[in-house]
Amino acid sequence: MFKKRKNTGIGNKIENSITKTKNTPITLEGLRKSIEKMDDAKIIEHQTQNSKLFVLIYVEPLIDQARVNEAVIEPLRRCTKEKISDCISVSEIIDISTLKEAEKQLMRGGVLLFDTIENQLHAVDLKNTTGRAIETSETETILYGAKDSFTENIEQNITMIRRRIPLTSLKSEKFMVGSQTETKIILMYIEGLTNPDFISIAREKIENIDYDQILDSSQLAAFMEDHTHSMFPQFQQTDRPDVCAFALGAGKVTILVDNTPFVLNAPISFFHLFQSPEDYINRWIVASFLRVLRYLSFMLSLLMVPIYVALTTHHYQMIPLQILYVLVDTRSRLPLTPFWESLLMLLTLEVIKEASLRMPTKSGQMLGVIGGIVVGQASVEAGFASQVLIVIVGISAIASFLVPNYLITKANTLIQFIILILASFLGIMGIFMGIILLFVHLNALTSLRQPYLAPVAPFYGKDWLDLFIRGPLRWMKTRPEALHPLQKWRYSRRR
Amino acid sequence: MNHKHAKIIFIIFVNIIVLFGCSPIVEKNLVEEIAPVTFWSVQKGDEEKYRMSTLIPPLVKEKKRLLTVQVDLLKEGVKGFNLKYYRELKLGQLRMLLISEEIATEGISPLIDTILTDPDISKRIYLVIVKGDFDEYINSQLGVQQDLDYYLYRMFKHYDNQGKMTVVNLHEFMKALHSPSHSPVLPVFEANNENFQYLGTGIFKNDKLIETTNNLEEQIYQLLSNDHFLKYFTLRDLSFVLGHVKADIQLDINKAYSELMLTVQLDGRLDEIAREHDSLTRDELSRFELEIESYLEKQTADFLKKLQENKVDPLHFRNHTLRPFSKPLEEKEWSDKWEQMEVKVDYDLKLQPLKDIKN
Amino acid sequence: MSGFSIFDKTSSLHSIYVTLMVNRIQMLYFVIILPVFLIYPYMIWVIILVGFLSQMSIFLLSKWFNSIYASKGYEGFAELLGERSVRVLAFIGLGLILLKITVITLGYVEITQHFIFPSLNTNWMILFILLICWYVGSLGMAPTIRFVVIAFLSTAWMVLLLVNFLFQPSNTIHDLFPLVPFDWTIESWKGVLFIFSALSGPEYLVLLAPWFNTRKKILKYMTIGNAFTIFEYLFLFIASLFFFGPHYLKEIRFPMMEVMRYMESPVFERIDMILISFYLINFVFAISIFILLFYGASRITLKKSKEQTTKSGFAFCCSIVFICLFINNELFWKEATNQNILLELEIWAGALTYILIPLFLFTSLKRKGRV
Repeated sequence: MFKKRKNTGIGNKIENSITKTKNTPITLEGLRKSIEKMDDAKIIEHQTQNSKLFVLIYVEPLIDQARVNEAVIEPLRRCTKEKISDCISVSEIIDISTLKEAEKQLMRGGVLLFDTIENQLHAVDLKNTTGRAIETSETETILYGAKDSFTENIEQNITMIRRRIPLTSLKSEKFMVGSQTETKIILMYIEGLTNPDFISIAREKIENIDYDQILDSSQLAAFMEDHTHSMFPQFQQTDRPDVCAFALGAGKVTILVDNTPFVLNAPISFFHLFQSPEDYINRWIVASFLRVLRYLSFMLSLLMVPIYVALTTHHYQMIPLQILYVLVDTRSRLPLTPFWESLLMLLTLEVIKEASLRMPTKSGQMLGVIGGIVVGQASVEAGFASQVLIVIVGISAIASFLVPNYLITKANTLIQFIILILASFLGIMGIFMGIILLFVHLNALTSLRQPYLAPVAPFYGKDWLDLFIRGPLRWMKTRPEALHPLQKWRYSRRR
Repeated sequence: MNHKHAKIIFIIFVNIIVLFGCSPIVEKNLVEEIAPVTFWSVQKGDEEKYRMSTLIPPLVKEKKRLLTVQVDLLKEGVKGFNLKYYRELKLGQLRMLLISEEIATEGISPLIDTILTDPDISKRIYLVIVKGDFDEYINSQLGVQQDLDYYLYRMFKHYDNQGKMTVVNLHEFMKALHSPSHSPVLPVFEANNENFQYLGTGIFKNDKLIETTNNLEEQIYQLLSNDHFLKYFTLRDLSFVLGHVKADIQLDINKAYSELMLTVQLDGRLDEIAREHDSLTRDELSRFELEIESYLEKQTADFLKKLQENKVDPLHFRNHTLRPFSKPLEEKEWSDKWEQMEVKVDYDLKLQPLKDIKN
Repeated sequence: MSGFSIFDKTSSLHSIYVTLMVNRIQMLYFVIILPVFLIYPYMIWVIILVGFLSQMSIFLLSKWFNSIYASKGYEGFAELLGERSVRVLAFIGLGLILLKITVITLGYVEITQHFIFPSLNTNWMILFILLICWYVGSLGMAPTIRFVVIAFLSTAWMVLLLVNFLFQPSNTIHDLFPLVPFDWTIESWKGVLFIFSALSGPEYLVLLAPWFNTRKKILKYMTIGNAFTIFEYLFLFIASLFFFGPHYLKEIRFPMMEVMRYMESPVFERIDMILISFYLINFVFAISIFILLFYGASRITLKKSKEQTTKSGFAFCCSIVFICLFINNELFWKEATNQNILLELEIWAGALTYILIPLFLFTSLKRKGRV
């Protein structure tokens, strides 16, 4: 702790000295010096019709060359007016007084215009907006429903949200974070609906970030989390605008980060990890069934292998005779104890999973299939693992994919290992101790200082309609109580 | 200390313990190293008190053999098995206890108590009385039938609560033993080197076997007590077979406990008639009904008489003397009254002919 | 250390937690052995009567909750009773809390040993349970109280499993006869005492008053909790009567567990093991609460209640509890066969605290009110 404080002290000092030097009045020489050795920076001198000299400075890849020609160079050449800035046909011209400001504009895709006569520097924002087109989300695929997803372009992302919630009360606050990256961060919320506490906490947390690089929203989340040492995500990351709009409407805040297609929604609860956008598209009975199935498969994926280990090492009494009949027979020729057997098989599975993920799509699929089938089959035939275990490992692996949030799928495996160790140690009791530890941990977790197990503990009865089941939308008359929204009712006319 | 560090240390600590194989649990239950026995057969020993045998290895598809030890104490037997066999025998999956008739007539309390106190053994274990030498039967079947023990267990499980034969587990036995009537029952099987077949219900007085029902008594017993249902009710003396017989029983003991009125409403089909008769008419059917009724009334009365003489009450008539707001009878008092009680039986049979009948 | 405090009172919890806590604290170890002490069918009436008695205690407690002192916590007690006597009471409370922790933990551990791991060294089990409780407690009082919802949800449904036993074909209504006592012995009185002691526990909630937003219909919420417990007691007792019959019931040591054990499921044999493990959640919750109270009481006794709570202090308390449990386990619990001195003590202590604490608080409130 002591060390940290010392470091920040030095950093501040350096920064101060830099700002001091940069606050000197701007000269062309100074600017030239700033862009020294920058191959992509251009300085162009032109003359207007009445022979006034003007200098354009810009970084070529950052600007829209066609628009520069059309909106700046051409009008200026033909310019006959007294002031150069009057000739340019863009919406906003910024007057710049310091070198630092000039550099900032330059690096964000502005074109600097140096008026040699008035000795004044102007900046015109003509940034290059090229980027990826709007595509279908690949991380949260759904069959029905909106197909658009966020891109790396933050303005475009805001557009997508604003189109869905055309309200002036949908506020967006801008922050610049990261001393190196100067990342633009937008905090969005609906004023008069979202609990002001969330907004102020989020604002405070973003303002307190002091780091050089913020390249991704997950990095931002890491700095905003209440609990650094937890395996569970405390922010919902999504690239679907409809999910964001839903979250905003329910009274959450959304944080967009420039150059990332994933935005953060908060506060979330553990149960949000199990909700898929498709839940609100399916019929409510079907959606409820699917949701219950997800919780079930989460538990299955956590517990099946540990239960196998617990039963075969400690509690042969618990196995029904019919199953024991199969189990004793297959296990009696295996060299490894159930614990090591399942540990190795789980590790192998993780390796296969990870490998197939990193491979190009088609070979990845191949690898998965071959890895799964061949390795599984071979290890049974070679006598390293029992068929029963292969079946169980397979089912639990598939079950783990049912959880819509991929981050939890990763955490899942780790939790599984911990419970596995406890199971081999204390049998069924160990498994339950693991579950209790998990519950206790979740119970103490917070997201934006709101309890992570929200509608359950603390208990909010009304929210249960959209928790383990997804009740009919008609019945969900109020916004989630756990989020303490300022506007309670979803209906504008109360019935 | 930060609690997060403590958590990590705790996990490391657990890991160390596990990896070094140090566990607070002394007993090892790895499935591949144990032999969970599914049944025990206890017979009277030659010199020692008991001769115990079981089939090993249980559950594994290996060549099986019968393992027998002679012991004085039941648990000594378990130990004896372990000394003889390379896998440790475990009792957690014990499903059947076969007790020889000789032991049963002397009282099975010592055996049962041992089984009862063992926390490993389920209360669902089936208790069976065996007449004859069960070991002989197993030995003869070793080559013929695979996994005999398992199929035997499946048989009991199948007939449990079905009302075709008496199937009693430890809990039911104990509950009946401690009930006011103190007359539990157990199924009795006969074993010789070819056959293992159901004989009837063994009726106990406290823990001693008193009486085994014969064929007809057995059927009456099943109707009166055990689920009140019989799939086939053979009346050999009358050459009838009734099918799917359901009984509805009304019991009435008078205030002075001197008279028991048993009314049985029977519903069934006439499945088979093994006597000469013309095509079945309604008159004839009602004649048959009367005939069967009076026959059953007599047989049932005789059966109950026998029970009275033996002072046993497997049908739990004593429970019916309990009233919500009056003091229950003393043990001795009841026993005397039961012996003296006058029993009246009334059957009311409703038969359904198999085919349509003419008037 | 950050500003985190174990006894942080930032959140004010809804009264529904009172319901759940009253219910779960009444459903601890004693309910498992309950039928052994009751045996006779007429005890059904006794359960209902003692339930009303318990309701009386709860009524008096609710008066305390509604007073101005309740939400102030320690200061409230000090104001009402004087600092010195609060310290004396806290010291007595230390012993009572320790006794309660001892009995429920050792009782539970004994059950695990009996049904799950016959060869287990029970001291290990005590250590593991306390480690978990330490973790729970060290996260603070408010999350621990919130944990009651999880404890309730994961254990309350077990009662439903017994519905099956009410409708077994072998059951007859005669198992419940006679319904009136014909020989009322000293044992029967003990049954009454036992039920009352089993229902004790809500009196400790007065110490948690600052965390609840009190005053709002607290009596109603406590009554629901108490009524639900009595319903559960009745249900369990009747189910066990049907299952064993009154005469066989006498001979069973852990009737509830034996009943659970008899259940069949297609996937697992021996569901009792799973259910016992499930019940651990409830025990962990209760023990954590009691250890937290123990820590609080020891701080008051040592005149340190104004200082910042420390994790090491809490850990120290946990280790004291562990050492205490360890010694009690070795000296008293293992030795006891039928008549267990600790259990006897707790039966008396539980019943006495449940009647005395509400009365005491009520009378001191009245006195203060008049003066």
